[in-house]
Amino acid sequence: MKLLNKISNGSLLILLILLSHSSFSQGTEKGDVSIAINYFINNNQVSYLVVKVKTKVDGRFKNVDGVALKLFLDKDSAGTFIAKVVTNKKGEATTTIPPSVEKQWHSQVKHTFLASFDGDKKYGPAKADLTVAKAKILIDAASDKTITATVFEKKDATWVPVKGVDVVLAIRRTAADLPINDKPTFTTDSTGKASGEFKRDHIPGDAKGNITLVAKIVDNDQYGNLVIEKSVPWGAKFTSVSTFNKRTLFATRNKAPVWLLFVVYSILIAVWGILVILVFNLFKIKKLGKSVAN
Amino acid sequence: MNRGSKTIKYKTNNLNETTVENSILIAKEKIIVSLKPEKLNSADDDKIIDDLLPQKFGKAGKIWVGILLAFCMVGMFAYYRQLRYGLVVTSMRDYVSWGIYISNFVFFVAISLVGSLITAVFRLAGVKWGSPLTRIAEIIAVAAIIFASLIIIVDMGSPERFYNLFTHGRIQSPIIWDVIVITTYFFISILLLYYPLLPDIKILLRFKERSGVRLHKFYSFIGSFWKGTPEQFKLSDKAINILCVSIIPVAFTIHTVTSWLFATTYRPGWDSTNFGAYFIAGAFLVGAGAVVVAMYIFRKAYHLEKYITDNHFEKMGRVVVLLSLLYLYFNVNEFLTPFFKMKESEAAYLNGLFTGNFALVFWFAILAGMIVPILILLFKKGRKPLPVFIVGIMVVVGAWFKRYLIVTPTLLHPFLPMHDVPASYHHYFPSWEEWAITVGSLAGCMLIITLLARIFPIIPIQETLTEQHEIAEQNI
Repeated sequence: MKLLNKISNGSLLILLILLSHSSFSQGTEKGDVSIAINYFINNNQVSYLVVKVKTKVDGRFKNVDGVALKLFLDKDSAGTFIAKVVTNKKGEATTTIPPSVEKQWHSQVKHTFLASFDGDKKYGPAKADLTVAKAKILIDAASDKTITATVFEKKDATWVPVKGVDVVLAIRRTAADLPINDKPTFTTDSTGKASGEFKRDHIPGDAKGNITLVAKIVDNDQYGNLVIEKSVPWGAKFTSVSTFNKRTLFATRNKAPVWLLFVVYSILIAVWGILVILVFNLFKIKKLGKSVAN
Repeated sequence: MNRGSKTIKYKTNNLNETTVENSILIAKEKIIVSLKPEKLNSADDDKIIDDLLPQKFGKAGKIWVGILLAFCMVGMFAYYRQLRYGLVVTSMRDYVSWGIYISNFVFFVAISLVGSLITAVFRLAGVKWGSPLTRIAEIIAVAAIIFASLIIIVDMGSPERFYNLFTHGRIQSPIIWDVIVITTYFFISILLLYYPLLPDIKILLRFKERSGVRLHKFYSFIGSFWKGTPEQFKLSDKAINILCVSIIPVAFTIHTVTSWLFATTYRPGWDSTNFGAYFIAGAFLVGAGAVVVAMYIFRKAYHLEKYITDNHFEKMGRVVVLLSLLYLYFNVNEFLTPFFKMKESEAAYLNGLFTGNFALVFWFAILAGMIVPILILLFKKGRKPLPVFIVGIMVVVGAWFKRYLIVTPTLLHPFLPMHDVPASYHHYFPSWEEWAITVGSLAGCMLIITLLARIFPIIPIQETLTEQHEIAEQNI
């Protein structure tokens, strides 16, 4: 009996140790997330933020969805609150800079965006920040098909040209932007200008030959992402040839190709014509039978 | 020479001499001049008629019909549930939207082609030994095409909207072509069953006591006008010849168009230019397999050993082995080249068939449906009635599973990966309602064959009499 008691007590002890270890390890199993803030400004007008949240699983980064983040401008306070966002399946959340922080926005030329995650059942808390300087980009297209982008940074109350910024000069296409020539980027000089020669003649534009030129700064440490567009008539005129409303195999029933109608109805008339004749043939046989009976 | 002309030879000797002379001209055969039917006396004729008249169901027949009716009733109950609750009672979902019903439809269409093979191709090619099998083939064709039409409606979620197919159907769609050719083939098959029945109905009408009042009335309704005059034979023969010529292209079209339902869709396993010929070869094989099964059963059940002889099994065995080799050739074409290339987009589908989830069914269909039948039928002993019957069953069962393999694995392996769908969408196994409806349709098809064999002579009586007279003539 004593032996039995010892065994049961020992088993209970081991079970308790295992359970306590298990509950302890559950508390420390929360994953870590990394937050990245990206700043964008399109055509020097609309500023917005894209926040990306990732975690490392088996040595690989994986997007994390459903993460609620609080975003602030410069400091974590009620007056500088930008938005509360939740990441989507790509691990991304987007928000514009709201009018509520306009006063703070105009008060200085450099800003720090703050993102904070309080943590949840799966992941521990995390924070990130991004500091950007106010900048703008202009684009100009000369008649000799030279494209010039000029980058300015706001210092105090004035815009001053910036030297040494990499600018992408490209043409906006449906799926992606196509560089204007073989050079991927152009660097601004002391006047803040970066120029490139347009070498995409005969590229299809719209019905009038218009194409959209793009000058952009991508993932710059100081300024973030800036994009500006300009429409120029340098493309080839392209008139879309639509088969909609034409007779095709994939059109509606009243737009069937004539050759198909001809083939199908010819076969139908021939075969069903024969069948009708054969049915009449039965009546003839019946008539013959009646005449014999009479 | 067609059967109507032969019938004239015999019949005219029982009519008047002037008519005989006319019929000889119509029949266009010199043999008629020397025909001496008196070598076969009326007692022999009566024996043949007595042997071949439709027989009432015995105990086994009634049990058989009862079992088939039971399956049909369960199938109808399952269909009621499908109508009541919708297609959700099936296991078909977004990806596998064509399941066991469409497999069954393709199977029925395939089996219906036997009418054109045995009746038309054999007749036009002058294959005389096949004449006792024509009625069996025609009955199978009619029953199969009826259920092909029904099962496609069963596959529709809202059958009450079937008329929309005609009011809004696009002539550009292979589905509309299929509707047209199935309807056409159904009418041709009915006519090809009906025309050669007319001389037999005249004989059936002579045996009112044996057939019973109701059946006699039915015979009278459908064929009392047939008097067997030379003019009637002339018209009938002409019609049968036209039907035989017409049914072959229509039969090819019906199954080619069915294959195009798949081949015009860009999917792994269906994107093939081989599909039309592949389907036709498979259809002729399963049709021939069904005929040998029916031959054996009818021969046993109705004691027709004198009319469906071992020689018929020997010959049909040769036909089946030829068709098995042909279908095997098309299968090698269909699978070897994609296997050799093993394109990434098709690899999952092909591996699923060869070594994956579908491997057991795939190799069963190939082995039981083609290779084993070839190995058995290549030997003379294998072409005896029982082995041919067993091979016939293997071919038919293998063919049914082959149709399942044509439809389902492809739908489970789309070119674009499946995203954001429930786990059940990745698999397909038919629900009990689908099985019940499918088995019910197969039972219904066999029930129609059984009932037609009860109503009409399973072997053409008039044609058999004529042939017996020809044999008697040759023996003089």
